[in-house]
Amino acid sequence: MTNPYPFLKEIKMAAKKIDPKNYWNPIVETLPIENMRDLQLLKFKKIVQWAYDRSKFHRKLYQDAGLEPGDIKTFEDVSKVPKVEKAMMRDIQRKDPFPYGDALCVPLEEVTEFRQTSGTTGTPVYQPDTWQDWEWWAESWAYLLYAQGYRNTDRVFLPFGYNIFVAFWAGHYAAEKIGCEVVPGGVLDTEARLLKIQELKATAMMATPTYVLGMADTAKKKLGIDPAKDLTIRKITCAGEPGASIPSTKQRMEEAWGAKVYDHVGATEIGAWGFECTAQPGGLHVNEALFLTQLEDIETGEIIEEPGRKGKIVITALDRIAQPCIRFDSKDVAEWSAEPCPCGRTFRIIKGGVVGRADDITKIKGVLIAPSAIEEVVRSISGLSNEFEVLVTKKGDLDDITLKIELLPEAEGNREAILAQLKDQLRLKTNLGYNIEVHPYNSLPRYEVKAKRFKDLRKHG
Amino acid sequence: MKRAKLKQMDARIKKIRKAAEELKELSGGIQAVDRNASRILASVKMLEINISDILDLRS
Repeated sequence: MTNPYPFLKEIKMAAKKIDPKNYWNPIVETLPIENMRDLQLLKFKKIVQWAYDRSKFHRKLYQDAGLEPGDIKTFEDVSKVPKVEKAMMRDIQRKDPFPYGDALCVPLEEVTEFRQTSGTTGTPVYQPDTWQDWEWWAESWAYLLYAQGYRNTDRVFLPFGYNIFVAFWAGHYAAEKIGCEVVPGGVLDTEARLLKIQELKATAMMATPTYVLGMADTAKKKLGIDPAKDLTIRKITCAGEPGASIPSTKQRMEEAWGAKVYDHVGATEIGAWGFECTAQPGGLHVNEALFLTQLEDIETGEIIEEPGRKGKIVITALDRIAQPCIRFDSKDVAEWSAEPCPCGRTFRIIKGGVVGRADDITKIKGVLIAPSAIEEVVRSISGLSNEFEVLVTKKGDLDDITLKIELLPEAEGNREAILAQLKDQLRLKTNLGYNIEVHPYNSLPRYEVKAKRFKDLRKHG
Repeated sequence: MKRAKLKQMDARIKKIRKAAEELKELSGGIQAVDRNASRILASVKMLEINISDILDLRS
């Protein structure tokens, strides 16, 4: 096949496989990396200038660092721009112009959307968006949903509470943009949602991994419905938790629903910046057309370009204007993949998705651990329910870690073997010994949105 | 798709932008015109992100 974009440098890998119908925008999604870097640099300069001219917060930040927008000339110069942390956004908010503070780059009357962060890591941050920003949100989701096979023949069910959290709002608008038929399952309870999915023969769904598993459980236990056989959902887009990139959790969801489960990663302050495609390459593509993503060594801040080395994601939304996101320290920990994706996209891949958060990865008994590693083990053992809880405390000077789990009723006969397998796998995969507490089935907390299964109580005495 | 085709698309995008901006100037403050024109401009921006911005790259 000839190169469909001859004005650009030769598209080596993608040109062999490009079928424009497979991409939301085949031009940017298959752009050679050197062209993509040029495009990102052009756009990065523009957004820095935009923020410098309009936001006191950004201007002071850059002036204090001795930086003028014109100093950014090369791609390497991007790293000279100071990072923004969530705590900095918290400090300026609720001030003038109320309630967003002086990172706002547009007049208040141009703000059409309010959302806020969930407050998982502290005081919620408010996020203003113009209508253009909101179109941009939907655009970023359109890239990801299209890559996951959403088309105008899909009937998409959204079982989430439409509220102040951004959650799947942009997924709703993006599905409409693609031409899907969208069914908002807002205030319905879980059983009513399941019955509506059945009644309407919905083909796709978006939810947190916790809720995807919880819905399947409710379907079987309360309605006598087997989602894999009795419902028609064949693709599920997950967000909010890392579960869809954790192989054992993904497998549980895919088996429960008879559907492909795709991950995506994003944040209220950033946007939907990464997604899994239908090729399921064992990682998430970074949407490089809309975001400039850098991986930094957690200790030294050195930019990591090579695969196989973990760092934290520092990210810029290249086209978001009301409250720009420039070199935002996401705290998400990831590593680049060495493998290109068979889907033909040249967007880089983070291997295994976001593997943790820099502020979640903690040292227990001298061992560094990400909570997702425990989830991977628990969900890989078939006799255990989907729910678990991890409690880290101090006993004297020593760390103590308790794992609460539930056995499935039908697995009670294999109790000892299952617990032995669990202990072995935990020791193998996390290098830690745990106090295992088996709780009655259905007694641990159930969550609908973001689960809080990891509780580190050491800081609280 | 050749660069010429991209340029053609970019030219149409510019025309839509110009038309929407002119609508706002002509509206005399009619909100039904201003606000719908603003929404058109937000969509035009998405077309620029997807098509016009690529033309800023070196050939």
